[in-house]
Amino acid sequence: MVTSPTVEKPASADELARRLHEAATSKLAVVPVGGGRASGMGDPLDRCDVLLHTTLLDRVIEHSQADMVVSVEAGITLEALQAELAKAGQFLPLDPFNSPGHTIGGLLATGWTGPLRMRYGSPRDFLIGIRVALPDGTLATGGGRVVKNVSGYDMMKLHYGALGSLGVIVAASFKVFPMPLHDVTVTSDGRWDDADRALATPVTPSALEIFSDGRVLARYTGSRAAVDRAVDDLGWKVEERSIWERHSGRAPARWARIAAPRTVLRELVETLPRGAGWWASPGIGVAHWAIASDASSVRDMRARTESVGGALVMLAAPDELMRQAGAWGTPPSTLEIQRRLKNAFDPDHVLNPGRFVV
Amino acid sequence: MTLPNGVADELRRIVGRESVVDAPNDLRIFERDGSIEGAVPDAVVLASSTREVSEVIKIAAKHRIPVVPRGAGTGLSGGAVTIRGGIALQVTRMRRILEIDPIAQTALVEPGVVNQELSLVAAQHGLFYAPDPSSQKACTIGGNAAENSGGPHCLYYGVTTNHVLGMEVVLADGSVHWVSGDAPDRVGLDLCGVLVGSEGTLCAITKIKVRLLRIPPSVATLLAAFPSIEAASQAVSAVIGHGIVPAALEMMDEVTVGAVEAHYHAGYPTDAGAVLLVEVDGISESTRELMAAITEILAQNQGYAMREAQTPAERELLWAGRKGAIGALGRIKPNYYLHDGVVPRSRLPQILSAVGEIGVHYKLPVANVFHAGDGNLHPNILFDLRDRQVLHQVEAAGEEMLRAVVELGGALSGEHGIGLEKSAFMPWIYSEDDLDAMHRVKDVLDADGILNPGKIFPDPNRKPIQLAGRTGLAIEARWW
Repeated sequence: MVTSPTVEKPASADELARRLHEAATSKLAVVPVGGGRASGMGDPLDRCDVLLHTTLLDRVIEHSQADMVVSVEAGITLEALQAELAKAGQFLPLDPFNSPGHTIGGLLATGWTGPLRMRYGSPRDFLIGIRVALPDGTLATGGGRVVKNVSGYDMMKLHYGALGSLGVIVAASFKVFPMPLHDVTVTSDGRWDDADRALATPVTPSALEIFSDGRVLARYTGSRAAVDRAVDDLGWKVEERSIWERHSGRAPARWARIAAPRTVLRELVETLPRGAGWWASPGIGVAHWAIASDASSVRDMRARTESVGGALVMLAAPDELMRQAGAWGTPPSTLEIQRRLKNAFDPDHVLNPGRFVV
Repeated sequence: MTLPNGVADELRRIVGRESVVDAPNDLRIFERDGSIEGAVPDAVVLASSTREVSEVIKIAAKHRIPVVPRGAGTGLSGGAVTIRGGIALQVTRMRRILEIDPIAQTALVEPGVVNQELSLVAAQHGLFYAPDPSSQKACTIGGNAAENSGGPHCLYYGVTTNHVLGMEVVLADGSVHWVSGDAPDRVGLDLCGVLVGSEGTLCAITKIKVRLLRIPPSVATLLAAFPSIEAASQAVSAVIGHGIVPAALEMMDEVTVGAVEAHYHAGYPTDAGAVLLVEVDGISESTRELMAAITEILAQNQGYAMREAQTPAERELLWAGRKGAIGALGRIKPNYYLHDGVVPRSRLPQILSAVGEIGVHYKLPVANVFHAGDGNLHPNILFDLRDRQVLHQVEAAGEEMLRAVVELGGALSGEHGIGLEKSAFMPWIYSEDDLDAMHRVKDVLDADGILNPGKIFPDPNRKPIQLAGRTGLAIEARWW
């Protein structure tokens, strides 16, 4: 990059859409920025002329406590949103890694999730409305603020995890959840066998994590009876709940996400290089790998992951390693269709050029 | 309309002589789905394989003939109606459960598999398929995926899109693709998520991989009476406000309860203004604890005559009453128009009183039976089709109800789809820019518009009945 990019911090969705449109008209490359927690994700950009920050769009638009629905601007941080919801005994069941500091827009664009996904699913499941600025300057909304809605195409799915390649998310509505009645975490050093035991008990954990040092964390939420029963059944040591906050803070400088069918995750993780640091969510089918080796080991691991129908995605790495390994791996079989979708929304490829799959 | 010369023969070469229906009298069987409006297709093709679906769509694409995928025809928004003629592509012969993987807890099915059949077969492995539309004895998984169907237990478990892991689809050019699959976090755009609920306008679905869940060891089902719909609505909010999300939370009004009780003798209290059916599941210690808490909350909110099902048979009967409620309404009038709208849950009392007033205004009985926990209402307008004059009134009343839903910050459909029925109302909730963004998706995937034309998007030739004559109705500020 010869010149440093312009920094834009629009204070409203309309202004953001205008800035995006101006940049697109001049064919300037636009990189949407939220909290910057996932800025390492994706292939190195081809060009970067404008950094379009959403951080001033940080309002809670409406929190309807009785309806358990919240609408926010995209630049609000997850922590600020949780603080608002907590006042009503509610929360968004999202605990992404490399916290704190994620913005809601960033989390939707990247699709980053955390351990609680096991019980609650990902935002893909509880995102009920979205508003997106498009390069042609329009603001397009999908969904609404009701918890069940099949009015028109599911535009939430189109933009969730699209890494801002079709538009810039400016607002979102979520179905939120009541704080669990009870919330207890237990731990063991029993490796995969203990993780499998926790998965087989009649009360399913809300989160289950296993670490490369053999430690297992299981979180139970719900009625007291269910939580007590699970804790009794396992007989593990009770752990402080704050362990989850520390866990969410994890973000190695070089790391990758391995996603695979749940049934083969263990086998796959066991092929990581000897001594590798990792943690896995066996109830979800996701593992995170702190990469201490070179690009060829990443490529090998990716080949094994893809051979079972999974994907290895680089979340952050020095440019050289990112170039050598590639952020995404083998493109999806529907790449041609995805490219046509990209062209329909961003014909001049001004959004995150070169960074995403399309 | 008829098919261009030679097309029927082309179709027969693909699926066989007997599998193309084009005799006028036979075609009439395929005129309708579960909604009000019908249209006779030019031909019906009974496909038996992905290859046949693909070849049929290729022929349709070549001749620019509309193709409308069709499952059991139980849809309630006209999604399967061939409003522009063309081919009804019936997939009910593709009805094999191809695989149940009890370890991965998934099933791979063909689109014609009946919803309830999948759960029955999965039960052999201690598993079930969660989305449970009231038509689950007949409706197909393919239709469910096309419409993103819901059901009573979606309050806790989520709707169809939350349970579809991947699909094999045939696009408008006849090409066959797999979208998504067993692994989470796929690379690239989430085409599968966009295609679920696209109502046959973007693809035909030929295989579906779904998630199955473990059958909970214990289920508790409670019936509670309330003096009024308002009181019952308040109780619904109170339960959820206490941090309890039951598996299902269903409401029936007085009219419905009367009809159901006369038909099923399930012990529904006929003196009540409304009844709630509440279900929790999990381990037995947990369901006991939750049911005790719920009973207390309901009692604090004017709940009375509370009765918990003591046996599986009793539970079945309570649910038979709920799922068969709409059929039971036939005791009041021979025909019904079942509407579908969603409001923020706290607006239930307001919308139900508006619905009641609209019924009175049009002199039409209205029965409500719906998913209260989700704010998803289903007013049934009851009428007798032999009185030809009444249909216009029924449609006008339905439209006015939807308008009220939208004015209260709601959405046009929670689970039935937009289809033909509600396409004219889409501008009530979406701006031109919103609809344009959706249309870009349509244009990318079906540039010639052969897949289920005339659905979802407003047709300039079809205006809402009331809209022309009514102005000044304020729609509540959009959510942003």
